[in-house]
Amino acid sequence: MNKDIRDLVQDFFEHDYILSEELATAIFLLENLEKPLLLEGSPGVGKTMVAQTLAQHLNTDLIRLQCYEGLDVNTTIYEWNYQKQLLHMNLFEKENDRKALGKRIFGMEYILKRPLLESISAEKPVVLLIDEIDRADEEFEAYLLELLSDFQISIPELGTVKAVTKPLVILTSNRTRELSDALRRRCLYHWVDYPSKEKEIDIIHRKLPNIDQDLAEQVVVFIHNLRKSSLNKPPGIAESLDWAKTLLLLNADHISDDIIQNTIGCVLKHQDDIDFVRNKTVQEFLYPID
Amino acid sequence: MVELQKTFRERLVDFTFYCKERQFMLSPQQTREAFEISRRGFMLDRKLFHYSLKSIYCTRKEHFDRFDEMFDRFWSRYYNELLEPREIKVKPKKKKSTSSSIIFMGAEFNNPHKEEKKETKQTKGANQTVRLRMTDFSKVDVEDKQRLEELAEELFHQMSMRFKRRLKSAKMGRIDVRKTIRKNVPRGGTMLDLAYRKKRKEKRKVVFLLDISGSMDTYSFYLLKYILVLKRYFKTLEFFTFSTELTHITPMLRENNESEILKQIGSEVTTWSSGTKIGDCLTTFLSDYGSKFLSQKHIVVILSDGLETGNVAQLREAVRTIRRKCKTLVWLNPLKGMEGYQPIQKGMVNVMPHLDAFESAHNLDSLMKLEKLLMDV
Repeated sequence: MNKDIRDLVQDFFEHDYILSEELATAIFLLENLEKPLLLEGSPGVGKTMVAQTLAQHLNTDLIRLQCYEGLDVNTTIYEWNYQKQLLHMNLFEKENDRKALGKRIFGMEYILKRPLLESISAEKPVVLLIDEIDRADEEFEAYLLELLSDFQISIPELGTVKAVTKPLVILTSNRTRELSDALRRRCLYHWVDYPSKEKEIDIIHRKLPNIDQDLAEQVVVFIHNLRKSSLNKPPGIAESLDWAKTLLLLNADHISDDIIQNTIGCVLKHQDDIDFVRNKTVQEFLYPID
Repeated sequence: MVELQKTFRERLVDFTFYCKERQFMLSPQQTREAFEISRRGFMLDRKLFHYSLKSIYCTRKEHFDRFDEMFDRFWSRYYNELLEPREIKVKPKKKKSTSSSIIFMGAEFNNPHKEEKKETKQTKGANQTVRLRMTDFSKVDVEDKQRLEELAEELFHQMSMRFKRRLKSAKMGRIDVRKTIRKNVPRGGTMLDLAYRKKRKEKRKVVFLLDISGSMDTYSFYLLKYILVLKRYFKTLEFFTFSTELTHITPMLRENNESEILKQIGSEVTTWSSGTKIGDCLTTFLSDYGSKFLSQKHIVVILSDGLETGNVAQLREAVRTIRRKCKTLVWLNPLKGMEGYQPIQKGMVNVMPHLDAFESAHNLDSLMKLEKLLMDV
């Protein structure tokens, strides 16, 4: 493994994130090519965590923009501080030079910075996480294009604001809708899949050092076999960890039918899925993984 | 910085073209970045170069899944010969034929002659795409199969993007008071700029019934993929397969991952390539699901060759009832794409009077044309 990549993997490991070599290379490129990284994958596979750990690794701030339908420029890029503008208009009412007044109240000090503008104005490069971009409208995707390709934002009254320092941008998507090709083309890409059995056991051990090896293995085998079943929402790594934590709290040393009945809510979030598992025995989900 | 050899530069450009031919969406920007990482010495480490190119060249999961195999095919020989010469000397391999196409591909093949022929055929350029679009699914040979699947994936992806764009709401509608007030705060509250709100355009509800009997074998895979793409657009899409039995597929479409869906359908539907009892299956559909999935808001699309082996009167009656209960009934028959085809089989003759549209669905081109039909009804 390349030394830089190895260092990155090691550093992420120290921050409790087990990075694959492939994803480590993508993050390495994100830092070196200064190009945004688009992470796609099922919910709960650790996409958001990548950005959080990267910020810790670089010892910098994380600016997070959680996307939702109806997100617009005012909530993501900038908004004029109207109250301040009105106040100053009253203060400078007697000033004769209207042009100068106009210029004055449309300055940077009258702008309320929202996450995207904040990220490009920071003095030290920050990590900008645009989370669940697939939830936002297509119009918002179009707003992002300028930022993602040129690291600049155009404000009609002011002109173009160029990045003081280029932020490290990570976009995540659960793939609930297809993103435009224009956005994809501007990003590096990585598909974050569910981890292998060994990796998931390592993750559980890393987060819960007190857990018994056999119990951790049972949890992972059970969860992996659940993922193969036709569920409304297959459990992610977050669910594996929640469940392992619950089992630790209950002092369980193995998974039994009783435990499944009482704790399956930590793993499955749909009533149909819960019923599906409750109608089966624990052994049906503990067969060895290929 | 590393100075790149001419042969390497050419190879990298060839690889970029190879990816483009396999439907990767690459612009000069990506090629520039590939050169950039190579100059930084990434190409000296095979894994680093592989994963870096993967991050740069892939833009979707479908690309991500097939990149490893493409990289290995193209770059194995290069790395074996140039970067591991000692290893090769210790374990000399049988000398393989080094025809130009194999050097070009830089790959290790088990059967060089066969692969050479294949690759030569595959690098025909733009005409190849046109040819594949027009090729009847039943006449696709093994060599073209993968290419066609990749092309279908790309065209279907573009189609789904077009569907989305058509959903943009108009600028006029009811006044949105809240937004208008907010919009006019900078003007001191004077309502100069009005904001509008419009009810979302209601998406259509559609029911697909796909014939998976033996006679439809060569078409059903592509039609299935086509339906999976449409699933993203329609508000409610109900999907059934039929041959001798009717199977409700919709619950299997919950997964986001298309290949997982295909795998699941493949394993759970047990009646692939069996006989055809269209009348029987449509009657079952009417009795079990008719009240739920048939209304004046539903479009029903039947994809079948109409080669009925059961009771024709039952088929006619079922089609007539479906037509009466739904908004539009469309029949897609892959055989219609055949030259000189006439719907004279007893199954088709009986259902023709009840159909709103009767179209072919035998190649990618005809499936693309259906897009308009489905949007207009």
